[in-house]
Amino acid sequence: MLLKKKSILVVLTSLIMALSLALIGCGGTPEATDGDAADAQAAGGDAAPTEMILVKEGKLIVGSDCDYPPFIFMDGAKPAGFEYDLMLEIGKKLDLEVEYLAPQNFDSLIASVAAGSKMDIGVSSFTINDERKKLVNFCTPYFDSNQAIVSLKSKAYTNASDLEGMVIAAQSGTTGADWAQENIPGITLKPFNQTSEAIAAVLAGDAEAVVYDEPVAAEHVAEQYAGELEIIQSVPTGEQYGFAVSKDNPVLEAAVNQALLDLKADGTFDLIFLKYFPGVTPPSLR
Amino acid sequence: MKRSTTAKAWRKPLLTLLAFAVVLSFCVQLATSYSAEALTVTTTTAKSNQASGNSVVGGQPTRVTWEAKVDEGEAVSSVTLTFPAGSSFADNANVQATILYQEDPRRAAQRIEVEQSYELDGESVVITFGELIETDYVIRVEVHNVALPALGGEYVVGGSYVDENGAIQTLADSPTITVIGTTLVDRIITWLDGQKWVESWNSVLFLRIFFNPQLIVAAFPNLFFGWLRSLGLVLLGFPLAIPFGLGFAFLRMSRLGILRFLASIYVNVIRGTPLFLQMYIVIIGIQIAGASFNSYFLGVIVLAVNSSAYLAEIFRAGIQSIHKGQFEASASLGMNGVQTMFSVIIPQTVRRVIPTATSEFILLYKDTALLAAVGVMEMMMFAKSMAAVSGNMTPYVVAACYYLVVTLPLTKVIANFEKKLAAADGTTSEPPAKKKKRVGLFSTSESNAPDAPDALGALGAPNPPGAPDTSDALNAPSNKSTQNVKKAQNAKKEGGE
Repeated sequence: MLLKKKSILVVLTSLIMALSLALIGCGGTPEATDGDAADAQAAGGDAAPTEMILVKEGKLIVGSDCDYPPFIFMDGAKPAGFEYDLMLEIGKKLDLEVEYLAPQNFDSLIASVAAGSKMDIGVSSFTINDERKKLVNFCTPYFDSNQAIVSLKSKAYTNASDLEGMVIAAQSGTTGADWAQENIPGITLKPFNQTSEAIAAVLAGDAEAVVYDEPVAAEHVAEQYAGELEIIQSVPTGEQYGFAVSKDNPVLEAAVNQALLDLKADGTFDLIFLKYFPGVTPPSLR
Repeated sequence: MKRSTTAKAWRKPLLTLLAFAVVLSFCVQLATSYSAEALTVTTTTAKSNQASGNSVVGGQPTRVTWEAKVDEGEAVSSVTLTFPAGSSFADNANVQATILYQEDPRRAAQRIEVEQSYELDGESVVITFGELIETDYVIRVEVHNVALPALGGEYVVGGSYVDENGAIQTLADSPTITVIGTTLVDRIITWLDGQKWVESWNSVLFLRIFFNPQLIVAAFPNLFFGWLRSLGLVLLGFPLAIPFGLGFAFLRMSRLGILRFLASIYVNVIRGTPLFLQMYIVIIGIQIAGASFNSYFLGVIVLAVNSSAYLAEIFRAGIQSIHKGQFEASASLGMNGVQTMFSVIIPQTVRRVIPTATSEFILLYKDTALLAAVGVMEMMMFAKSMAAVSGNMTPYVVAACYYLVVTLPLTKVIANFEKKLAAADGTTSEPPAKKKKRVGLFSTSESNAPDAPDALGALGAPNPPGAPDTSDALNAPSNKSTQNVKKAQNAKKEGGE
C-alpha cells in the first residue's frame, strides 16, 4: 500500500518535471524565431515584420513600476497618473484595450520588454539612453526631465559636494543611481526596488540623500513629504523619457509614435500634460 | 640702509624689472582668467566601465560627460573637446550635446532643442551648433564609447571653443577623471571578448543569459564581498538566536501556565508568519517610525528573532526526547532541577539537536537573500545590481554557487553527524516496530550510508531498517532519536514557508 502510494508520487513528480521542461522548451521557441527574424533583418533582407506583434490579441499590455507620481502611481488597486492617462488615449487611437500589469520591478522591466513575452510596451518614465537602446527601441520622447538630489530639510545640505563619501539611496537601475555613482565621489550607493523605499531610507536617516527624477521629486517635496524633504540640488541632465518597445516590434513602435503625433495634433496630449504639470511647456514631440 | 652704494645701484633696475614682471604676470593672469571664465567647465565625469566594480578603466570604452556654462556676455558656436593623449574612439562612438537652461540650482532645468553636428578627429571631438549658445546656457556633451588612456592616472579633458566673433578660445582644463589601469579581471574579460569559442558560446541564448563567461569572471570577485556580508548576517544572527531559543524552550516547558502561554504565543506568531513580512515590519517599519538604525543591524535582529522561535521548538523537542529515566536517575543522585538540566539533560540534547539546528542554520543562511528586498546590502543585492546593469541572469547563477559553497558542505556534515548518532543510538532499546522512516523521493543516501539501498531505494522503496535516512538533510533529518526534533522541523515547514 505504502509502496503504491510512493510510486504514484514518483510518477506524479516525473510528470511535473517533464511538463516544466516542456514549458521551458516552449519559452525558448519564440526566442529562437525572434533571433532568426533579427538575423534576417541584419542580413539586409526585407523580412522585417509587417504586422504588429501583441502578447494578447486586442490588448496593449503595459509594464510599469507604478511608483512614480505624478507619472504613474497606484490609486488604490488601479494605476493612475500622466502616463496612465496618456496610454489610455494611445490605446483608443490604436483601437487596443490597455491593460496594466501589476507593479513590476523597475530594474528588470527593460529586459522584460526586450523579451517581448510578458508585455508589449514598457511605460515607466524610462530615460532614453544608449545602454537601454542596446536592448529595446524607444518611441518619440514625451517628456523632458532632469535629476534632483533630495534630502531631509533638517540636514541642511546645499549641494552634491556636501554628500561626498556618504550613503546615497536610489531606485535600482535608474539614471539617478548611475548619476550619483558617477558624479558624487566616494559614495556608497544603496539600491532599492522602489523609489518610495529609497525615500523611506532617507527619512529614517539610513541614507543621506536620494537621487531621482526631478519632476517626481518636485511633486514629492510639494505634496507627500512637504516640510520633511527638500530638493537640495536640481541637476540639469536634459534626459528624455520614452516608451520602450521590443526591437522585434517596429510596427508597434511606429503605431505608437503616430498615435502620439495625433494626440499632439488634436490637443489631447497637451491637455493631459497640463493637467499634471500646470505651467510647464509641453514638449514638441519631435 | 647700511649697505654699500654699489649694491643700491643695481638694486633699482632690479626693482623696476620685478615690478614690471609682477604687472605682466597679473595681466597674463587676468587675460587667462577672463578667457577661462567665458565658458566655465563645471563637470567632467566618466561612467564606470568596470564589470567588477565602480571605477573607470583605461583602454576600454566608456561614456564621458562634459558640462560647461556660458558666462556673462559670451556666446559659443562650436566646442572642441580634446581627450588626453592615448585616448581613442571606438567604431560605434557617438556624441550627443544637450543645451539646458537653469535659472536656479534648486529649480528644474529646461531643455532647449538646438541643431548640432559633430566630428571625430584623432583624439578630439568637434561639436558645431546651428545657432549661438548664449549666456547662462549649459552645454552638456556626452561622448559615448571613448576609451581613456590604458595607463591609469588623473586625466583632464581640454580643448577650445569658437566664440560669437569666430575667434578660437582655449578651454580651461576640466575637473580630473580618475582612470585606473586594467585589472586582472578586466584583462581576462577583454581576452574572453576576443575568443571565438566565447562568441559561439554566447550565440546560444540560454548559455548567454545564464552562463555568460565574461560575466562569470566579473561576478565572482564582485559577489565575494556580498557573500561575506551574507555570511556575516547569519553568523551574527544565528548565535544570537541560540540563547533566546533556549530561553523560550524552557519557558514553553515551564510549570507556570502563563509563561507557557506567553512563550507559545511568541513561537507561534513568529513561526506562523512569513519571514519576508517580518523583515518588512521590522526594517521598513522602524525606518518609517523614525528610529534610525543601521539596516544591516536590523537585518541581523530580524534573522535572530525569527530563528529563535524555530530553535525554541527544536530545543524543546530535543530536551523532551531525553528519556524520563534520566531525570529520575539524576533526582536519585540528589541533583536539583537546574543541575539536572545543565549537567545531564542539555549535554545530551546538544548532540541530538545539532543536525536539526544546522538545518535551521542553512535555512536562515538562504533566507538572508530576502533582505535584499528591504535594502540590506548582501549578496543577493550585489547580484541584483549586476543583473540590472547587464540585463543578464549570470550574476544570479554565480550567487547560487556562493550559496552552495556553504550549504553543500554543511549538508554533508549533517549527514555524517546523523550517521554517528544512529550508530550510537543503535545500542538503545527502542522497539523496532515503531520505526518510521521518511524516504526522500530522490535519495542520495547511497554515498552517505554504505548499507543504504541501491537503485531500488532511489525509486522510493523504503529504506531497510537501520540505515539512516540522509536523503533530505536540508529539510529534516529523521532517525529514531530525533523523531521529535523532526516533528518540530516539519512544523516549521508547514508554518513558515
